[in-house]
Amino acid sequence: MGMASANSGGSEGMELCIFDLRRGQQEGQELDKILFFFPADLPFSTQLSVIGLSEGLITFTRIFSPEAACEVIEAERHSHVFYEAEPDIWMVMVVEKSKEAEAIWRVEALREVLKEIHSLFMMFYGPVREMLEKDPSGGQIRAHLYPFVMDYLSACQKRSPLDYCCWDFLVGKKIQLPSFRDCLKECGTVQMLTVGREAAIEVQSLVRVLESGAGATHCYSLILFQDLLVSTTLSPDDTINLFAYAVQRLSPRALSSGVSSWSYLRRGSTPSHVVVGPTFATVSVSDQFHQLHATSPSQDNSYHVKRPLQHNRWSKGKDGFLVTDIWGTETGSLIPSTPTIWLQQTGERMYLCAYQYKSLTLILLVPLSSILNGEQGVSLVKQQVLENASLKILKVEEKLSKGWGGENAYHVSGYRYLLIDDDRNVSRASPPAKVTTLAKESLLAMSKLREEVDLEKSRSKWDNADRDKDLEICIRAKNNAWVIARTTRGKELYMVLERANETLLYASDAFERFSDRYCGGAFSLD
Amino acid sequence: MSSSDSSSSYADDPSPNPFDNQFKSLKLEQGSDSTIIQKDDAIAQEEGEHESLSENSNNHQETSHDQDDRIDGGDVTSVVWRRTNSEVEVDGPSSPSSSGYAGERGSSGASDDDDIHEVANDGGIDGVFDSQAAWLPGKRHVNEDDASISWRKRKKHFFMLSHSGKPIYSRYGDEHKLAGFSATLQAIISFVENGGDRIKLVRAGKHQVVFLVKGPIYLVCISCTEEPYESLKGQLELIYGQMILILTKSVNRCFEKNPKFDMTPLLGGTDVVFSSLIHSLSWNPATFLHAYTCLPLAYATRQAAGAILQDVADSGVLFAILMCKHKVVSLVGAQKASLHPDDMLLLSNFIMSSESFRTSESFSPICLPRYNPMAFLYAYVHYLEVDTYLMLLTTSSGAFYHLKDCRIRIEMVLLKSNVLSEVQRSMLDGGIHVEDLPGDPFPRSGSVSPRLGQHQQPTDSPERFREPSVGIGGPAGLWHFIYRSIYLDQYISSEFSAPINSPGQQKRLYRAYQKLYVSMHDNGNEPHKTQFRRDENYVLLCWVTPDFELYAAFDPLADKGLAIKTCNRVCQWVKDVENEIFLLGASPFSW
Repeated sequence: MGMASANSGGSEGMELCIFDLRRGQQEGQELDKILFFFPADLPFSTQLSVIGLSEGLITFTRIFSPEAACEVIEAERHSHVFYEAEPDIWMVMVVEKSKEAEAIWRVEALREVLKEIHSLFMMFYGPVREMLEKDPSGGQIRAHLYPFVMDYLSACQKRSPLDYCCWDFLVGKKIQLPSFRDCLKECGTVQMLTVGREAAIEVQSLVRVLESGAGATHCYSLILFQDLLVSTTLSPDDTINLFAYAVQRLSPRALSSGVSSWSYLRRGSTPSHVVVGPTFATVSVSDQFHQLHATSPSQDNSYHVKRPLQHNRWSKGKDGFLVTDIWGTETGSLIPSTPTIWLQQTGERMYLCAYQYKSLTLILLVPLSSILNGEQGVSLVKQQVLENASLKILKVEEKLSKGWGGENAYHVSGYRYLLIDDDRNVSRASPPAKVTTLAKESLLAMSKLREEVDLEKSRSKWDNADRDKDLEICIRAKNNAWVIARTTRGKELYMVLERANETLLYASDAFERFSDRYCGGAFSLD
Repeated sequence: MSSSDSSSSYADDPSPNPFDNQFKSLKLEQGSDSTIIQKDDAIAQEEGEHESLSENSNNHQETSHDQDDRIDGGDVTSVVWRRTNSEVEVDGPSSPSSSGYAGERGSSGASDDDDIHEVANDGGIDGVFDSQAAWLPGKRHVNEDDASISWRKRKKHFFMLSHSGKPIYSRYGDEHKLAGFSATLQAIISFVENGGDRIKLVRAGKHQVVFLVKGPIYLVCISCTEEPYESLKGQLELIYGQMILILTKSVNRCFEKNPKFDMTPLLGGTDVVFSSLIHSLSWNPATFLHAYTCLPLAYATRQAAGAILQDVADSGVLFAILMCKHKVVSLVGAQKASLHPDDMLLLSNFIMSSESFRTSESFSPICLPRYNPMAFLYAYVHYLEVDTYLMLLTTSSGAFYHLKDCRIRIEMVLLKSNVLSEVQRSMLDGGIHVEDLPGDPFPRSGSVSPRLGQHQQPTDSPERFREPSVGIGGPAGLWHFIYRSIYLDQYISSEFSAPINSPGQQKRLYRAYQKLYVSMHDNGNEPHKTQFRRDENYVLLCWVTPDFELYAAFDPLADKGLAIKTCNRVCQWVKDVENEIFLLGASPFSW
């Protein structure tokens, strides 16, 4: 029973479940707890045993730690990573520690995956709890979660080489979770374009024009160049979510399906044509529904489920605006409906209008409440944007293109690094293609060091919420690489130096030079 | 070693100990399990009576069993024998006395020295802990159980339970009241086991729950002390080892016969041994370094002690160990017999925590888990001075009189050659002080060797804690260091000096070292080479070479370059005085 059979069940070493502890408390009703389970074809007894263990340990750990229940279970062959997405709504990912050494995870990186799934779900559908309250049978939430998470997990052929974020995991049926090789990436952060002063002023004025386009109502905007953020007027959380979505589904790279760049991927042999997508997901969805119907009689199978994470569903229209049929068409017309999202911070529902010019992607969010006549109103807004901003868009694109240093723009020779600004949720890192040149030992040492820092961070979080841990760790690893971590005042810098001199002072100097030059001295001691 | 010829297979035994099959006590196999269980019940009742006895129950004369029977009966009866918490006073022409780590300070003697603070203080370690000065052995808070808020807030729990969920040991609270909780732990472990896996760790906020399965014995630690998983797991291994030292692994057979076997009576009165071990998990570096430390002595003095120990070792003694508190004066092993530092730690903890060893010479069955977990050895123990004790280990249960003779010879030689007085003097002088690090541009003391003649209390011993030291720290902000010689399996730790004065600060530094150790050592893989770590409390430097490991703590504002230079000087210094601080040559290890 249990996990043993789970693994033979073709889950490829990963299980992911979402369950609600407020449901199914009566004996015989336990299945009611399950809102999502991957792989869906596992027998219910196995699913229930995964959830039973999780629930048991959540209860158990609360005896000693009422403020924070179970976060992770480490067993010999599996890690169970917990995330309480909403009160009593838990997401648990079970990953197998296979014999092959690639399966070495950093728990926090896996938790970031769970967080991202949930945040994106909220962005499109609102809180899970709300949907459950609307439809207590659970049918609606299940009908939404299943395709959503499956689309999230399914592979994308258009993986960007600048994709720092851990996103598409289902590569050729094998789920690729962020492993130790991704230790110099930080999911749940945005990557910014460094913009000169002049360009910044241009961008500012473009933002003003954009947001005033919709009249008096309060709009928000997000501007990307390539896969990098140029400007945002959204709250940090909303920025992270929308940025993640834009990079994966809206950016020029995401749209041009032909230009697939797998070169930096961990396995050079990974085929670039992978069995992906809609068919696979659809089949499984109906499977799951079928199974659920068998057990819960009061189900209505006519939920209209939009699948915003589906691949290849966005394209560029003639007017430069991006269009998709994911949100269906307005009743009685052939015009695709404009997508809508929820803002986490304000709880407002917004129309999402995306415009693309060359490498520049502009996203304008207009409150639903401000547009009374639906699609007509939206096209009016779009028209205004084109009229008022076209020229500025051209100008900004030109400026940014000129200043753009290419894919290796942020490479610093001799260094492999990751810089995180926790206050702004921004990260910058060595280009992935450069990180892959590191020896496996160096990456393992860095991954382990990051795990250590993660623990220190979470401890200081419980000890003293407002004090940031000031920490400097500098390790000469067994393969003679220097592996360095430094956290100070809400900033973190991780660095691997291979082929460096053996003295600690040399490594420290190299670190200080980097800090002075690229971090404004934020990590320098004096 | 005659019994080592016999062999049998213990298929249930998952431990890869290489000695398992080559060193097995014949008596063990002959032992009747049913006897154990029957006697158990009887003794369990008897124990109930003992609990009502006052402090001097350890002096209770053993009358209910015939002594010779007990010894000849081997481990099985000796288990029973010990459980009775009784012992024979030795006077005049003595006969073997039972060991008795009597329950005189056992479970009923609850004394609150630490944990009010632990409950109250969530913040740092300061003022939180089992202060070395105030620490008293024995179990605390027996009236608590898992329903008590105070129990739930204890910083570090240890549990031992059987695979059927029966409680065996709990650091806090009465085992019997914790039966329900114990069953929960068992359910968690077996649930995961049924899924074809084995649970190791659960993390929740600041808490970690660490699991260790040893055949039919389950060990669990629940802690919010921020110690790394690897450290906590190592601590569970030691607690298991301590249990094996008392009972041997043959206790597994009781569970084969009867899965619901209740082990608590077998460990009756040993609370004090476990609580003392748990206490040392927060001050004794030996518990994570897997090395032992020596009392600093002039080379000739240690040689003299070693020579006489070697003498008796040649006469059929397996190990002869002379210790002062937790520090080794000298030790000698019979040919090819090797003694693991963890075994030494567990053995000395067992001896030191049991008050009765201090009052009389004793002959007690003990098991060295790393040497041979299946069989008992017999330890002749005698305190020569207040903290100085001699242990003679043998495989023969009938060797008491021979060992007694050996001890008399040894004691005479030690007295004659002034070893004992040198030991006393060294204890008073303390060990190595960072202030004395030579090569300081402004030397405060010219002496290289440990201070002589300056009467200070040693600081790193559990019972005694001196007044804030005269020390002001070493050069370049050096506060403290530990040097571990890899080939010798020994370490030297400097005395604590300002500003690491309070027990709380010492415990914090100890934990910082422990974390550093784990960070450098990756589960049996090759360790990293250097580590520099700065946080709000310290600069820590660690340097690992094939020969030694150095752990040094500096002022958090210390200059990196100077700190590195200072570490080099420390290493040189240690090499210069290694004759005095380490036991050389007469190593008990068989390489």
